[in-house]
Amino acid sequence: MKMIKFFILGLVLGLTVQAQANEIVVKKMTGDLKQAPLDDAIWKSVKAQSVTLMAQPMIAPRPKTTATSKVDVRAVHNGEWVAFRFEWSDTEKSEAGAVGKFSDAVAVQFPVKEGAPPPVFMGAKDMPVHIFHWRAQYQKDKEKGKPDIKDIYPNMNPDMYPMDFPDSGNVKNLTPDKKELYSHGQAAGNPQSYSKTGVDEIMAEGFGSSAIAGETHAISSAVWNKNRWSVVIARPMKIEQGSSFTPGQSSFAGFAVWQGGQDEVGSRKSVTMSWTPVKFEKE
Amino acid sequence: MAKVKNWQINREMDYVYDESRPKKQWAIIFDLNKCIACQTCTLACKTTWTSGRGQEYMFWNNVETKPYGSYPLAWDVKVLEKLGRQEWKKKEPYYGKTIFEGAEPSEKAVHFAPTDEDWMYPNNGEDDCLGNVPDGDHITLPHDKWFFYLPRTCAHCTYPACLAACPRKAIYKREEDGIVLIDQSRCKGYGECVRACPYKKSMYNPYTRVSEKCVGCYPAVEKGYQPMCVQNCIGKIRIMGFVNPPWKAREDNPVDYLIHKKMLALPYYPQLGLEPNIYYIPPIHADNSYLTQMFGPNVDDAIARYKTLREDPVAQGLLVLMGSTDRIIHSFKVSSGIAYGYDEKGDEIVSVPVTEPLITRQAFDSSRKIVRHNTP
Repeated sequence: MKMIKFFILGLVLGLTVQAQANEIVVKKMTGDLKQAPLDDAIWKSVKAQSVTLMAQPMIAPRPKTTATSKVDVRAVHNGEWVAFRFEWSDTEKSEAGAVGKFSDAVAVQFPVKEGAPPPVFMGAKDMPVHIFHWRAQYQKDKEKGKPDIKDIYPNMNPDMYPMDFPDSGNVKNLTPDKKELYSHGQAAGNPQSYSKTGVDEIMAEGFGSSAIAGETHAISSAVWNKNRWSVVIARPMKIEQGSSFTPGQSSFAGFAVWQGGQDEVGSRKSVTMSWTPVKFEKE
Repeated sequence: MAKVKNWQINREMDYVYDESRPKKQWAIIFDLNKCIACQTCTLACKTTWTSGRGQEYMFWNNVETKPYGSYPLAWDVKVLEKLGRQEWKKKEPYYGKTIFEGAEPSEKAVHFAPTDEDWMYPNNGEDDCLGNVPDGDHITLPHDKWFFYLPRTCAHCTYPACLAACPRKAIYKREEDGIVLIDQSRCKGYGECVRACPYKKSMYNPYTRVSEKCVGCYPAVEKGYQPMCVQNCIGKIRIMGFVNPPWKAREDNPVDYLIHKKMLALPYYPQLGLEPNIYYIPPIHADNSYLTQMFGPNVDDAIARYKTLREDPVAQGLLVLMGSTDRIIHSFKVSSGIAYGYDEKGDEIVSVPVTEPLITRQAFDSSRKIVRHNTP
């Protein structure tokens, strides 16, 4: 019952906010976007749209207060690729790693099907959304490789790992496949347990249903400077089995930001309460 | 929230999902009067399951000294403090709040998140007794200085808080044996289970970036064998079996007998509302108010019954069956001074004399014409 109440509240809020929300115009340009460029030359002439966020209100666990109240969004496309630049204030750079530490993150979602958009809270059954989820932790993977346990805890001194022990015994000369069995997440093929490329591409049909897409297309760059994150996520305009856009088209986007330093992770996040209209410039 | 029956607090309570009891429920009983904290169980578990990267700090099975020991640091004190003072009168249902009922609307349970440092001192408080021992002090009964060892695994709860808290539904309870598992392919490492489990038996692996927990040694259990921590217990303080709720209890089931028939073994912190399935025969020489907090208001009855065990040959027989076999004992019987254990099909798997025969040897061995001393 509570869920339905929130859902209706969300819809009402959604409609009212949507009417006021300013459209994000995806500016047409000619440069290369495949490297998710951060340099100002591209972005200087693009108007930033300030998108209002609030603490995720729909399901527990949820944050008590809004950690990130707005995210500035700019977008450009060159007909083939589209890049979104996100900027928000965060006084603490959080890249996760250690036990009990979480990562700063931003996500943008698009409806998969054309027409009326699905519920803004990560879609619904048969109304999927396509999510691009950037994490500072994943960006660090991209730049420095997935950290070994010694990178996370440099002063830790484990006696030995039996799968690496070169002497005789039951476990000598293990193949990499067999060694992986000691790493349960990897052995189960969980994408979470492997080195990331910056952005996870996710399909979802409602809260808790998200699943990482097998194929990734998006590229990201990021910098944390003067208590502010600037993140660029670039993706092809057309992604089969996902969201696709053409110049001149109008669509929608939803946003979420996590502040890892404030223990935000999963459903503990700041989100948009309605879809933001997105217009892809034709010329 | 659904209304579910929790027999350990003898009332209906709120839980996130409907009541759905498994066909069988994995359970371990520990006799705390016998545990010497040798940590053989801890290492049996460690070498079997958690020798990989990111698992260095993990002890799915641990043994801590009560009242001062805790792994992670102060897990019990923090959860009790967060829940706040609650009342539970003897012979009455527990009318205080469970961690589900006491939760704020924005959370699934009353909880706290341990930091990495909290996990780093598994031997904290080891062998520390309550109270100073001044010069000239001597032992009195009941002991005014006390401690006891508390071995702990995941309790594979009937109403797991980890499962309730997982926003991705990556945690499930197996229908066939009630073992609670984290799907290693679906977990995204949000750590909600680590926060929510009041016993702190979900642990985050910083190398694989997903959370892990005690798996109840399900590959052994599926083949009719007890978990490694039970098999390797040199003090023979443990028995693993399948516990029924009281309305389905079977007197010839060893764990049902100790939990429901004799009411010797009690769940720990049942007031938290998870219906945990590790049960303890409480220590007879520890402080009653502390034990009441840990095991509920009827703990003194269990201790009184334990002290009269010598008048009960059946219970005695069952206690000697503990640690006598690696197999899971589904039913037992005691007759003519012998305790028998049977598997699921009813085939005998072990028999043990309730009292070991006493052999008195003469000091003088006439066959060899020598005198033997019992000098160690």
